[in-house]
Amino acid sequence: MSRLVKSELLKQVTTRTSLLLLLWMTALILLVVLLHVLSLSTDHISTADGQLKVVGWGTSIAALFASLLGAMSITAEIRHGTIRPTFLATPRRERVIAAKLLAGALTGLAVGLLAEGLTAAIEAAGLAARGIHIQLTVGDYVQLLAGGAAAGVLFAAIGVGIGAIVRQQVGAVVGLCVWLLLVETTLIGNIPSAGKYAPGATAGAIAGAVQTQSAAKLVTPELGVLLLAAYAAIFAGAGALLTTLRDVA
Amino acid sequence: MQDPQRDPLTAEGAFHDAAAPAAPAVTVRRLSKRYGDVAAVDGLTFTLERGTITGFLGPNGAGKTTTLRLLLGLAEPTAGEALVFGHRYRELDQPSRRVGALLESGDFDPGRSGRNHLLTLAVATGVGYDRVEELLELVELVRAADRAVRTYSLGMRQRLGLAAALLGDPELLVLDEPANGLDPAGIAWLRGFLHRFAADGRTVLISSHVLAEVAQTVHAALIINGGRLVGELELDELQDGARSLETAYLELTGGLA
Repeated sequence: MSRLVKSELLKQVTTRTSLLLLLWMTALILLVVLLHVLSLSTDHISTADGQLKVVGWGTSIAALFASLLGAMSITAEIRHGTIRPTFLATPRRERVIAAKLLAGALTGLAVGLLAEGLTAAIEAAGLAARGIHIQLTVGDYVQLLAGGAAAGVLFAAIGVGIGAIVRQQVGAVVGLCVWLLLVETTLIGNIPSAGKYAPGATAGAIAGAVQTQSAAKLVTPELGVLLLAAYAAIFAGAGALLTTLRDVA
Repeated sequence: MQDPQRDPLTAEGAFHDAAAPAAPAVTVRRLSKRYGDVAAVDGLTFTLERGTITGFLGPNGAGKTTTLRLLLGLAEPTAGEALVFGHRYRELDQPSRRVGALLESGDFDPGRSGRNHLLTLAVATGVGYDRVEELLELVELVRAADRAVRTYSLGMRQRLGLAAALLGDPELLVLDEPANGLDPAGIAWLRGFLHRFAADGRTVLISSHVLAEVAQTVHAALIINGGRLVGELELDELQDGARSLETAYLELTGGLA
């Protein structure tokens, strides 16, 4: 299995796609966090809750890019046809999916740490520039980084599952973007009693905040881990099953 | 106890041969694949003995590529079976060490270099980096190896695909339209390579719809049309090889009508 994981990681670093995605993520975080930190009223951004809601963008963006990288580890292979030599070398296809899940866990972990770390650093710099004190505690930052890393790992698995189920690259990418950026924010904004159980919101519960929401409206971190792990298991399991059952075009 | 000096490849081969003593390289029995109402492959039966080069001939849409996909475990048959060395492909332990395949679809990520394409497969197969370099030299891609595949000509892609098929030093080569994009020198090189490959007792199955390319290469030809086997020819039975093969092919596939 370690051979297969190594092969999957090699696939990730031997095209520019993953690097470009990370650059896009960095640019997006820079833009979104600076816009919020510099434009929100001093009253709003001076409180711990206001500051948490801004770092919550790191969680949302980590979830998005970890799942995109996971999904594209399959859909890019289907799109270019390399899935055929991959399955010829390893015809027990569930082992290929398992390797993609493990490789995705590593990239998801890195994405989670990078996204949350960048978000926190840019917010701190923006607050310092406005002369506003940071209200977040060391505990907040630890939860943010650890929770972001965990969310990255689990969202990468959700992405691998979605990629294996949908197979079409554009469909998988658009679906993940629409769900995480549009549907989830609408859900938690309008029906928070249900929206807090959605995957992106549970990632926020683990990290302490998600895009525009702090812990008050989210489930507990423990329940968040359980729910997000369940989502990851369902999508990854369904993706693995369909991959072994369906013909390869 | 296993002898630690024993080559694991040989040991595995021995295991497979024990499970299926002297099984033919390829056994296809009453193989069918339906897509809705369309039968892409319809009750196909043939075997390939080891050490032979066999042409798999038929017009476009005859079911050649579908048959190869079924043989390689990429698709599941609707009925019948397709076995390599007596086993379903998906049940082989180290398939790349027994079967190498070059598919017509040209399966490369255009942004990845030729060398890295081979490396990702070599790592998954458990083949050393020196084998990758050896194959890059064999297919004369050393100088282009670090360029992205999107800059390769069709012939270079075919040679890269052949290198990928050979990574595990297989006993059976399955080639789908291998001469696509090769220049005359490349075709002559491929023919010489396949003859040496088969002279080792190894087996080749070449699918093609371009008869002239295979007529001088193969020992035997299977001709299929509409998913069915319509002819099976030994090339040495035919006088005046290429022309006779063409006549037989056109008669059998109804192309002269």
